[in-house]
Amino acid sequence: MIEVETLRKEYDGLVAVDDVSFVARPGGIFGLLGPNGAGKSTTIGCISGLLSPTGGRVRVQGHDVAREPRAAKARMGVVPQEVALYEDLAAEENLRFWGEAYGLRSGRLAERVRTVLETVGLLDRAEDRVETFSGGMKRRLNFGCGIVHEPEVLLLDEPTVGVDPQSRVRLLDLVREQAAAGVCVLYTTHYMEEAEALCDRLAILDHGRIIASGTLEELRGSMGERDLVRLAGTLDPAAVREAVRSLAGVEVVAVGEDQVALAVPEASRRLPEILNTVAGTGAAVRETTVTRPSLESLFIRLTGKELRE
Amino acid sequence: MRFLLSAARKDLLRIKNDWPALLLWIGIPLMVGGLIVLVFGGDAAPQAKLLVADNDGTLIGRLLTGGFQQGPLADLVVVEPVEPAEGRRRMEDGDASGLLIIPEGFGGAVLDGEPAALELVTNPSQTVLPEILEETLDIELEAAEVIRRIFDDPIDRIASGVVGDGLPADTAVSTIATAFNRSGEQASPWLLPPAIELETVAGEGEEFDFGRAFFPGMLILAILFMASGLSIDVWSERRQGTLERALVAPRSPGLWLAGKWLAGSAALAAVSAIGLAAGRWLFGIQAENMPLAFLWLALVGLALLALFTVVQVLARSERAANVMVNAMTLPLAMLGGSFFPFEAMPEWMASLGRLTPNGWALLRLRAVMDGAPEPGILAVSFATAAGLALAIGWLVSRRLRAWAA
Ligand SMILES: Nc1ncnc2c1ncn2[C@@H]1O[C@H](COP(=O)(O)OP(=O)(O)OP(=O)(O)O)[C@@H](O)[C@H]1O
Ligand SMILES: [Mg+2]
Repeated sequence: MIEVETLRKEYDGLVAVDDVSFVARPGGIFGLLGPNGAGKSTTIGCISGLLSPTGGRVRVQGHDVAREPRAAKARMGVVPQEVALYEDLAAEENLRFWGEAYGLRSGRLAERVRTVLETVGLLDRAEDRVETFSGGMKRRLNFGCGIVHEPEVLLLDEPTVGVDPQSRVRLLDLVREQAAAGVCVLYTTHYMEEAEALCDRLAILDHGRIIASGTLEELRGSMGERDLVRLAGTLDPAAVREAVRSLAGVEVVAVGEDQVALAVPEASRRLPEILNTVAGTGAAVRETTVTRPSLESLFIRLTGKELRE
Repeated sequence: MRFLLSAARKDLLRIKNDWPALLLWIGIPLMVGGLIVLVFGGDAAPQAKLLVADNDGTLIGRLLTGGFQQGPLADLVVVEPVEPAEGRRRMEDGDASGLLIIPEGFGGAVLDGEPAALELVTNPSQTVLPEILEETLDIELEAAEVIRRIFDDPIDRIASGVVGDGLPADTAVSTIATAFNRSGEQASPWLLPPAIELETVAGEGEEFDFGRAFFPGMLILAILFMASGLSIDVWSERRQGTLERALVAPRSPGLWLAGKWLAGSAALAAVSAIGLAAGRWLFGIQAENMPLAFLWLALVGLALLALFTVVQVLARSERAANVMVNAMTLPLAMLGGSFFPFEAMPEWMASLGRLTPNGWALLRLRAVMDGAPEPGILAVSFATAAGLALAIGWLVSRRLRAWAA
């Protein structure tokens, strides 16, 4: 279990993490979703004990990370955002060293190294140096180094960046296996689909603050039964905002000079009405998109911007 | 504590896997050092200086020394007349390759066919040049003898003309000397035992010994370069993210660093051992001094590694760190007495050089390898080097987390 209470981290003046609180439970995958610079890695750093928080506290399996760092760290496995491997050592030697660092010895160590190599599909490359690996293979070994000591809590920082679709599916399966085995997984990503497919609980982070959190269902529900309609073209934001007021149940999520995003119940049925109203303001609409309720639409609704910008 | 060994094992493997770098660190200083020694070492000056103390003052003496100023020898040998006492003093200072002493009555004895002796004092710290002087004199004396026997008459005539009276012109002397030289070369295979004896005396002072003079410097140099190369590893761990991983593991950063230094020391010790073994084989260094020299080298290596690590973690980037460490290593190598002995440096430079960590280490290593270390000084030196490494290790490991983040 990871308990984060009013966590805060400042870098001379810049608040990277701002009063973040959440609880991640064993056997579940907790997703921390946010765009670049949202504070995901900083949050993970404070949990892993790499960074000292400016305020708040973090407990891992009941151990306060600041006061009992050793006990907390011994129970954690960390998969950093940047691949962290000894390029000049063999895959096997990397796993072996990190296993030893977490106290594994002799027979047990050898067994775990072998199991992990098998799990991440690198058994046939065990004796090759990491510098000869492809990016995706390094990612898989990076993951392997985080689980070699069978941690109770697993921190994953965007582990699928730069991985081909096949390896990505494999990695996501590995993460699910960990959760199924009872591990408490914290997973950060800026891929909506990944978070939707993987996580049972989520917190959406923006500018260091949690702007929404809950189960996937709760978050979808907060979007209501409304779809997201985006109209792109040339428009007058003030006029559009004014005109849309006359439409029952339609809410302006975001509006700019080149596009407007609307939350609309039963969008497919009401699309002609909406297009007419917007066109009535003198706007020239070039493109129309309708999206089913999703994290993406929730994020846009909450922040007025796309997640992947 | 087991983590210390795991970390050391991991880094030893990495050093082993990166063996070409290891070879470079050791090879470059040895190569540069070897070249410098070849060019400047051994014979301090490219020209041999022959001091001549002529107590006789006759033509024969001038003929002898004139032979050195002919042909290719003229480029190699500078002849300088001196007073006998001054000549001996300058030889003691190692100021010349040889001192030729022509005793009073030498010329007369030669011309009369009576036994006569010359004394050549050679500089023991030089190898090649004194030998050239000796060989040349030998040939001249043999030639003189042959000529005296073959051309008994003309020599008599010369003798009667010159002994006592005014001396012939320099050109005349040179011509005769050349003739002596040439005929000497031709005549040498069937020479009779000379009646003139050349007595060669090695001067005071110790014999030049490459092993003693340059070998300890080369060892320190290899250790210096290797330590500077090894120190870069903290940055490679930081760049690779493995330092970050180590910091989130439930182990103290101090052990991680200690493991790294233990591996570095092991590599430094291995190189020291190989170096000392090579020294024993090539220069016959004393076996009983080797264990202490080995310990000293390994400890100095660790202390240098620690010093360079401080520079590494103070630098703002890996690039800056490399530039800074290299910019330190080269002047240290130059000043530290490895390339140019302290004795050959201007005094201000030598005193600076003795204060460099490697220069300081070299002086102790010399004492140890000469079998003459002062126990008190040695104990303090060992304690200083070990204390330095410990103190730096403690400080750096405390700053490691802040440095990595
Ligand atoms: N060492 C640091 N010094 C100063 N500012 C930092 C430091 N590390 C991070 N920041 C700032 O903190 C904020 C959060 O960064 P963080 O790395 O946590 O974002 P992230 O959500 O992980 O982003 P990404 O998806 O790009 O990895 C950013 O504004 C970043 O510039
Ligand atoms: Mg990040």
